[in-house]
Amino acid sequence: MNFSIKSETPVIAWLLVGLAFMFGLLTDANADPAKEVRIATVAYNVNGKIGFNGTAAIVEEQGWLKEELKKQGVTLTWVPVTAQSVGVTINEGFANKSIDFAGYGDLPSIILNSGGVETRIVVPGGRGNNVYLVVPPNSSAKSLADLKGKRIALHRGRPWEIAFARYVAASGFKFSDFKISNLNPGAGAAALAAGNVDAFVTLSDAYQLEDKKVGKIIWSTKSAAQDWKMRAELWGAKDFIAQNPAITQIITTAYVRAVYWTSQEAHLDEYLKIANQNGQPENVFRREYSDDSVSWKLRWSPLFDDLVLDHYANVAQYSRQANLIRKDINTKQLFDARFLNAAIKELKLEGYWQPRKVALKGA
Amino acid sequence: MNIINQFLLNVKHFSGLLLPVTVAVVWEFMSRQGDAYTYIFVPLSQIGSGLVELIQSGELLINLGATLQTTVIGLLIGGFAGLFVGGLMAVSPLANKLIGPLYHTMRQVPLLGLIPLIALWFGNDLFSKILIVSLAAFYPVVLNTFEGMRGIEHKYVEVASVLKFNRLQLLIHVLLPAATPSIMTGFMHALAFAWVSTVGSELLFSTGPGVGGLMLMAQESSRMDIVIVAVVSIGLTGLLMNASLSHLRQYLLRWRSVR
Amino acid sequence: MTKIRDLANSLHANVLFFVSPILLLLAWAWVCSAGIFPEQILVSPAGVYQTAHELWGSGELQSHLHDSLYRLVLGFAIGSLLGLVFGVLMGLFKPIDAFFASTFNALRQVPTIAFIPMLVMIFGVEETFKIVVVAKAAFFPITMATYDAVKGIPRSYFEVSKVYQLSHISLVRHVILPATVPPILTGLRLALGRSWMVLVAAELIAADSGIGQMMEMGRQMFRIDIVLVGVLVTGLIGFLLDRSLRAVETHLGRWQQS
Repeated sequence: MNFSIKSETPVIAWLLVGLAFMFGLLTDANADPAKEVRIATVAYNVNGKIGFNGTAAIVEEQGWLKEELKKQGVTLTWVPVTAQSVGVTINEGFANKSIDFAGYGDLPSIILNSGGVETRIVVPGGRGNNVYLVVPPNSSAKSLADLKGKRIALHRGRPWEIAFARYVAASGFKFSDFKISNLNPGAGAAALAAGNVDAFVTLSDAYQLEDKKVGKIIWSTKSAAQDWKMRAELWGAKDFIAQNPAITQIITTAYVRAVYWTSQEAHLDEYLKIANQNGQPENVFRREYSDDSVSWKLRWSPLFDDLVLDHYANVAQYSRQANLIRKDINTKQLFDARFLNAAIKELKLEGYWQPRKVALKGA
Repeated sequence: MNIINQFLLNVKHFSGLLLPVTVAVVWEFMSRQGDAYTYIFVPLSQIGSGLVELIQSGELLINLGATLQTTVIGLLIGGFAGLFVGGLMAVSPLANKLIGPLYHTMRQVPLLGLIPLIALWFGNDLFSKILIVSLAAFYPVVLNTFEGMRGIEHKYVEVASVLKFNRLQLLIHVLLPAATPSIMTGFMHALAFAWVSTVGSELLFSTGPGVGGLMLMAQESSRMDIVIVAVVSIGLTGLLMNASLSHLRQYLLRWRSVR
Repeated sequence: MTKIRDLANSLHANVLFFVSPILLLLAWAWVCSAGIFPEQILVSPAGVYQTAHELWGSGELQSHLHDSLYRLVLGFAIGSLLGLVFGVLMGLFKPIDAFFASTFNALRQVPTIAFIPMLVMIFGVEETFKIVVVAKAAFFPITMATYDAVKGIPRSYFEVSKVYQLSHISLVRHVILPATVPPILTGLRLALGRSWMVLVAAELIAADSGIGQMMEMGRQMFRIDIVLVGVLVTGLIGFLLDRSLRAVETHLGRWQQS
């Protein structure tokens, strides 16, 4: 066993290069106030042009953030991340300190924090996105019960695992009742189209599969309790936030401005046009948003309310039970509401959104 | 048997084309057998229009260019690092004893298996890809440089010692020129490995431009035509690079023998 | 005399063999205990050992190993058998050679890895896909090696054997096998290494078991210790495969000389 150790790192020279590089990264992080802020966001490459996803697209479109940061002498760098491996890529980015903020999902963040890399939620991402269960169009399956013992494509450790796990548990099953294939969304969709899996768990791209007649939605979180929806928030590296409160405030305010703009019903069409740049057809968004129990305005509520709190407590509990994480994690410490509260006050948005039950007081 | 041989010999001149043409005909035939078949057997015309679409949008050239760039940078870094380390091992017995065992075992680690580790340490961008590709190019060049220099006839080294060459002079004036054929072979292997690992790392890192990313996107949207165009262009580009390096090698070696 | 010196040399080399690995291990342990890198970036050797122990204890590691090796053995057997037959046929019969050569050479240019998206679309992500990938990776180098080996048998060997009126069996036993086996073995060894690498890559991309999948899962779950165990195990297996085929090569080389 011992002498195979060497396979773990490249030749000594490379090791030294690596050490030097990582020293650089680590010492950089402890330097004076940042001159650059790097925000990772899901992006799509459409015909060589990069389009951002969701709120980041609006923030970029508004241009306010870039201007404000410039006044402080700070440059804004968007770090595009492919939808195929958002959780992993962003977790690795936080771990090797190549990003400062990221908009991404609940489960990967819990996995990261449990692994010892500390991040904080600065702006909660509204009431969440729907998760869908898709089967081949000719499948006779009507519910989870019909899929017992069958093969289901699910990218493990991604946010939609939580919603699916709740559905599984609520239906009286366990993961081991199915053959779970750990496939990224692209490979999962391909496997469904080729008939290699009997079901596929995914997000709103489920509608695209229906349009292409390779899939049929048999279940979604639209029909489930509101807190089953998948959540994604704006996360920041704990150290960066502590060292750069002013920059963090600007970013928070920019995101709240963006969601305030989006949450106005009048901007719906324009929002869809901007969001559409990421390659998903407009009608996919419309269907994702339609027939939903949440109103358009509330969908974008950035408040730290009990919905967010309970959700994370649940995610942590599930992750521990499913043995995805090895340590218990206190999810309350993940919330940093200072910047959000200040932004709401600054933009005079107190009372615009109604919190679900008790709101979290500023830390 | 003889008759069959005779017949086959008669068609020898174009027999190399026979198989591809047959495959194309069968392919086209299969593509007309219904929707379930067109999923895999894309009609040839659709592959053609896919190619036109990719060229017109510039996607093919942008992605191919990015892949080529990664390969070339990795080949240069890894190749010259390999030249250095291989030369060091050939000149210094101590270096050989220290580096050799590490080198020979590490070479067996599947390079693409290092990707999860490298992604965590160095991120998911171009740097990590180039690191993988450099390593892929590094291994064969070390081996061939070392063996090329070790395999030099002893009389050259004796001549050098008569001329009182120091180690550096020995390396530059004797070892390096004499080992050039072997080193070039190493670079040829390195190119092949670099090309494979570039495509592989693009499939596994799935960020940034590159033919690997193009293929993944096509796979996601079930566009077999684009996948086929990408596979063919990977093959052709590999062939082209191989041919040009082999010309360079011939050129270098001819110059040597003339001298 | 030379034998004794060889023995002494090899003993010397064997001792030296462990110097740099042990140095590296010590450096690794030292870097970890000095806390230069956070634990989530670099796990200590002891931590990796403990994780390996846990994975072994729960039977997880064995089951992944079993799946990977099963795919490797089956795919490699299919690929190498086809490669041997095909290489011999192309080497012996000119028309077959002419018929397949251009297609074969064109396909050979495309790295196996580049076929993965296509193969996933055709075969899905089940066992078939992985076995096809391994078989493809093995087939081409083995066909090439066999072809070259068969082509490399000098014509004069056949003439000489005709003069001595050797039987077919002894022709094969004393002429063809000794001339072709060593280069084919080298081809097998190269092919095995490539098959292993391609299998690990394929498992990283799409699988529900196997060492590659264990690493990918470790990556998704941010468990660098599991990833490291995977890297060590894949390296160890690659090393052992290479060494055992090399041993066969030297063994047969000796047999051939005697």
